[in-house]
Amino acid sequence: MFPGVLSLIPFLTQTRWRFVFTDMGWRWLVGEIDVPRPRQNGLLGQCLHILDPAGSALVAGEVENRVDGAEPIGQEYRTQNYLRRIVALTGATQMGNAYDLTVGKTRFHVRYRYVRRLRDLTDPQGAYEETCFYPAKKEMPKCEQIATALLQLRNNPALFDRWAAQSGAFKADGQAFRPRALIHFR
Amino acid sequence: MTAKILTFSSHGDTTLLEYDPATADMDEVNRVIAEYEAKTGAQPFDMATGERIEKITNEEREVLMVHPIAGG
Repeated sequence: MFPGVLSLIPFLTQTRWRFVFTDMGWRWLVGEIDVPRPRQNGLLGQCLHILDPAGSALVAGEVENRVDGAEPIGQEYRTQNYLRRIVALTGATQMGNAYDLTVGKTRFHVRYRYVRRLRDLTDPQGAYEETCFYPAKKEMPKCEQIATALLQLRNNPALFDRWAAQSGAFKADGQAFRPRALIHFR
Repeated sequence: MTAKILTFSSHGDTTLLEYDPATADMDEVNRVIAEYEAKTGAQPFDMATGERIEKITNEEREVLMVHPIAGG
């Protein structure tokens, strides 16, 4: 009888370990199931919640997929939309990633932070001049920087010379812009 | 019907002011705009015509404050 009991020991040990691992496996499996939690909206979601007057909170992911027929209102879509509108308003034409704008006899070729000018379209000897530009408000999206340059050049083509002189920032009407000096009190 | 004054910012377009042009005090609107221009250098453009405007009236529905540009 004693050898019979001894032969049972490996069998019992194996069976016990199987139960232990099976139990752990269930625990791991439970750990992998994503328990439903309240959505973490982040700062954008919180802002939208505050801005929504009807109290029906919009969250970041839902903004792009509204089912009420409204157009998507993502930032990129909106900046491109403003650029398209300003291109149409100024009569510019898109040429790849740049825009051609004709004001009188002058043609501007505007792309992100660069603008070229052909002073007289009727002059066959005319050559392009080029300068860089950047908005005084530096963190503006690319599309809106181009839109800003198109609007300003169309209204005041002489701004090109101001920009080329690299003598600071200029308002749309050509006046120099100096941000208010900061006053430090001791 | 509402009118709005907006500007381009680091996160796209931002509405600075929204008002009813039929009832709004346009002097007050222009005072706010003048303060904004003094601070940022931005000047108003009518988004219906693309023209720069000296003074906002109750005719404009969407005004874009256009920030200064520097050459470099």
